[in-house]
Parts: sequence; structure tokens; C-alpha cells
Amino acid sequence: MDLSLIQQFLTFITLPFQSFLTIEILLIFIIIYLFLIINEKRQNNKVRIALTALIIFLFSLLVFYFSNDMIDVLSEIIRTLMRCFYFPNIIFYILTTVISLIILIYTLFKSHQTKLNKIITYTLTLIHLYLFTNFISLAITTNLSLIDTANIYQHDNMFVIVLSSQIIFIILIIYKVIYHFCYIRHEKLKNKQ
Amino acid sequence: MQNKNKNIKSQLFKVGFFFLIVGIIVFVSTPLRKLKGDVFEEMRLAIFQLNINEDNTTINDVNTENLEVTPENTEVAEENDKKANYSYIGQLSIPKINLKRGFVSKESRYNNIEYNVTIANEADYPDVPRGNFILMAHSGNAYISFFDKLYRLEIGDEASVSYNAVTYNYRLTNIYNQAKTGTVAIYRNPAVKTLTLITCTHNDDYNQTIYIFEEI
Repeated sequence: MDLSLIQQFLTFITLPFQSFLTIEILLIFIIIYLFLIINEKRQNNKVRIALTALIIFLFSLLVFYFSNDMIDVLSEIIRTLMRCFYFPNIIFYILTTVISLIILIYTLFKSHQTKLNKIITYTLTLIHLYLFTNFISLAITTNLSLIDTANIYQHDNMFVIVLSSQIIFIILIIYKVIYHFCYIRHEKLKNKQ
Repeated sequence: MQNKNKNIKSQLFKVGFFFLIVGIIVFVSTPLRKLKGDVFEEMRLAIFQLNINEDNTTINDVNTENLEVTPENTEVAEENDKKANYSYIGQLSIPKINLKRGFVSKESRYNNIEYNVTIANEADYPDVPRGNFILMAHSGNAYISFFDKLYRLEIGDEASVSYNAVTYNYRLTNIYNQAKTGTVAIYRNPAVKTLTLITCTHNDDYNQTIYIFEEI
């Protein structure tokens, strides 16, 4: 951790030659890389399939050998997502509000959107912003410090406001993703015709 | 004919997809509920720690003139107790298995194996000299299986209990099994303060395991 820039570089260079296993890993990845580059010229479909299978096999092997750790990592990822959903810290909560605000302003000035889409976006973003404003006003009136996450969620009102905001935000994001996929697909079909 | 076949295939695909989604939901619902429980537990413990810190701050500012207990004070305290029936009064930690769970008072309706790590009615609180603090919880795969990793413990492993802003440290000295009969016999050294954890035996439907920890 306390290495200088040159030491970091030297460590990076010597890293693949520290054991027989690391040399093997390096060779496998060089071979895959060379095959990918050469195949770009030849465009052989069999090589593509073989390389995909090889990469999947390598990563499956890793997952098999470290299955317990992988489950722990996966659990930790889901736990972190749940923490962000149920008990987001103030930075994350402000970030979602900023995203919501950007979506609102973008929709406001974008003319090539259906009226229904605009109405849905306005409704969801405004509910989200209204809840955020409520959250801030409640924090001010109860003289609550927002830095400590536990301090926020020991108040039931705050928990309910944040949870509702998160639900609205997720609905908004899912709606936007689905809308854009449908929109892009629709545009492509139109262009084809 | 071809259109009809396509329609049947499409219908079959939709039904298959529906069952796949239902299957995935059923398969992941229990682990997800367990993870959700963990996240809520973390927050409850964080709130518990926060309140301990706030209480400690208050202790420094105690006005000794108002130490007399009045009926009004008692009423307020009782009212607060009613409101705070899910507030933790302490925390059990076992670092080896990454276990951190809060527990509520014996009188709380949430001192129940379906909600929390439960204090047995016969248990003494950790601050009782030479007392036996007995905690029980489920093991297995359910989201309320708070003691699901206890089977990994070995003699000599350490645990700690935080109660009334004091941490009591214990070391595991004995593990034994007993048949599930509705009661359990606890064999411990009565001269030492102990912590007893009771849960179902790992991969065994007919026995329960008792873990005896002695104070260090």
C-alpha cells in the first residue's frame, strides 16, 4: 500500500512470474487474445464458439473452486443493494434525487416524446422530489443530523419517506429503461419499413 | 398449419417462461428474505449502538437532585417501555461465524423465537454474578435461523454479550447434544458466569445442541 509509483510498476511487471500458476494463467490469456486478434481477420465462426466456450469454461472452473467465496460475494452484493434500497445513506439518496431531477428537466425540454410518457415521467419524478423535500423539511424541523444513517432511520417517518422514494425511483428507472428499449426498437422498425 | 404450430410453440414458450419466473422467485425468496432480515438487523443494531452512545452522553449530565423516583416518572417509563418494545437491550457477537444479533427484554412480545434470538425465561441477565444467560434461536435455512452457523464453533472460540453498556466476554468450554423433548438440561459450572446457546443440531431433526460459554 505504501509503495512508490516505480515500485508499483515493478510489482505489476513481476506479478505474472511469481509462480508456475501465474505463468500458466498469463499464457492462457495471451493465447486467447492472439486467437481473438487472428480470428478478426479470418472471421471463422467455429473459433468464435470455441473461444466463448473456453472463456466460460475457465470462469466456471474459478466459480467451482471458489464456490463458497462466490456465494459469500454474491450475498454481499445483494445485501449492499438491499442496504441501498431500504437504508440508503444520505449521499446515495441525494444522488437518486439528482438523477430524478435530470430526468425531469430532460423530459421537459425533449420534444420527441409521447404525451403519455411525459405525463408518467412528470408524475413519478415530482412524487420523488416531493418526498425528498418532505424528508429535508422533517430533518430540519426535528433538528436531525443526516450524517449518521442510523440516526435517520430510528425515526419511522423518515424510514417510510425514504422507502417510498426508493420504490418510486425504481419504478421510474424500470419504466425509463423499458420505454427506451421499446422506443429504440420501434424506431428501428420504422427505419426498416 | 404452420401458423398453428407457431402459435402453439409461442403459447408453450410463454407458459414455460412463466413457470421459469415463478420457479426462480420461489427458489430465491428464502435467501432473499434472510438477507433482508440481515440488513434490517444491521440497522437495528446500529440504532441500538447509537442509543447506547446517547445514553452514555446523558449519564455524564445526570442531575443528582432529581434521583427520587416519582409516580410520574414511573408512568413515563412504562409508557416508553410500551413504545420501545422492539428496542434491543443488548447484543450477542460471535466473531468466528460473523454473528451479530440483538436481543430484546424477556418481557417484550418480540422475545420470541419467530422474531429474534430469544432469552429463555429461566435465564439470568449477563450482569447477574455467576448467572447463566441463556439464548435460543432456530438453525437451518429459514430467514429466522439466526443460529444457523453455530455448528462451526469449536471449544475455545470466543463470544461477547453487550448489555447495559458493558461487554461481557466468554469462551466456549462445552458442546453437547440432547434429544428434543421440549426441555433441556444445562450442565455448567455454577461458580462461573456462563452464556448458554441452544439451537437445533445441524442436519439432525431429533436433537438439539447446547453450547456452554464461560466468562473470561
